[in-house]
Amino acid sequence: MSFSGSQRLFGALLLVLLLFVSACGSQPTRWDEAEKTQGPATSAESVEGGSLNTFFPKDAAESEGFDFTFTQEKDGFAEASLEQDGTEVALLSISDTTNNPEAAEKFAESTREIGGYPAIDVDFETAVLVGDRFQVKAFSVEDSFTEADRDTWIEKFDLAGLEGLTE
Amino acid sequence: MAKPISELVDELPADNITVKALHALDFVMPGEWENLVGFEATIKKVARTSDQERIQKIGERAIHLYNDSSQGYQRAMWLYQTVDSTDKALATAALANKVGHSIGFLSFLSKITPKADRAQAIDLSLKLVVEVVAFCSINGLPGDSIGDFVKSLGKYSKESLMRMNALICFDGILPLGPDFVRMVIEILEGLTPDELEKNETYDRIKESVPGGNTQEQLNFIQQSFSSVSDWINGFVKEHDLSADKIVGSLKNFIEISDDKLDYLAAFIDMTTNYYEHTGTQTLAHRLVRRAMSEI
Repeated sequence: MSFSGSQRLFGALLLVLLLFVSACGSQPTRWDEAEKTQGPATSAESVEGGSLNTFFPKDAAESEGFDFTFTQEKDGFAEASLEQDGTEVALLSISDTTNNPEAAEKFAESTREIGGYPAIDVDFETAVLVGDRFQVKAFSVEDSFTEADRDTWIEKFDLAGLEGLTE
Repeated sequence: MAKPISELVDELPADNITVKALHALDFVMPGEWENLVGFEATIKKVARTSDQERIQKIGERAIHLYNDSSQGYQRAMWLYQTVDSTDKALATAALANKVGHSIGFLSFLSKITPKADRAQAIDLSLKLVVEVVAFCSINGLPGDSIGDFVKSLGKYSKESLMRMNALICFDGILPLGPDFVRMVIEILEGLTPDELEKNETYDRIKESVPGGNTQEQLNFIQQSFSSVSDWINGFVKEHDLSADKIVGSLKNFIEISDDKLDYLAAFIDMTTNYYEHTGTQTLAHRLVRRAMSEI
């Protein structure tokens, strides 16, 4: 197969163009689709984050020598940090799944319960779904906060009180 | 919309003048700050996971939260970016003009103008105001009382603590001397609304400073600085910070003359964006924590 002069020139130009485009445009990433997501990230039905604070085991933490600090409070979400001897060992959170309904679906595969609520374990995290709506999570920041600790601390939340919010 | 959050975190430099300058302050808090860069790496680290499906879900939720401007994250990012006054051309030239293993700062003396003490005092206090406003934009007002809120603000660690460390060293001790807290309070007390309005940094961020007019905003700036002055003095005392120690550590990568501290401070101010750099890391950290709780 032979190429004419004009074909060679065209090929060279195409190559330059390709190099130029790939150098100028950013490389595709796994987040490109997600970055197109626009619109509200929370639902108008979700509760205020502040209304969730009262169900956290703040008193239990303090009586057991942990330093308990509320760290985030946004629409339908509240988070607290547990520290021991100045080191953050765990995160505790409550989120309203009306903001992200997909989150509640995974509990259909739950094989165990904590405090009578369906529970799921993944990596260093344990979660329960309360009243088919509120997700309560304990996350181990340090290995010293064990899987058993996560179960224990989830039970220390006022889960029944939280379920009352769904009525 | 401005740049996507995944891109902003991916583009954080692993090493540049800002990173070198921050690492020079590691001696104050050894091991506390890790220069974590990359959106995926941040998710892996914060959520302690290598499960690709989970990383994707956390990332997608984080992006959705960030893209919804009503959630406050974009505002916080804008503030962190805007309060830094980096001169990118100078930063690039400084890096290109490395002398041996260090940056030849002395050859840039003619291009550097130290700030007057009053301007420096205003800039320092405005960075603190940005910190408070960005904190609220990112985290809301956690807890049920002012006490809860102040406690959450006091729990600074990792990149947030490094940002405060850099603020104290680079914007406090180096340009204004060891007694900078008392000096800034005095300057702020004598400041008039007219003078504040002439400050460039204030002009850039004034829309985000709480207060209905310049006088009220000035009051907020004064109160913000006063309320953290004890904390700053405690930090300086606890770590026995001095210009000598800071300069000694910076000498590892910048060629420094000891009698040009105000020029050195101006050089760091012009060539680094430590507020934006560590602010992006703080925001990404908090955003990922929320996202992993919500998925």
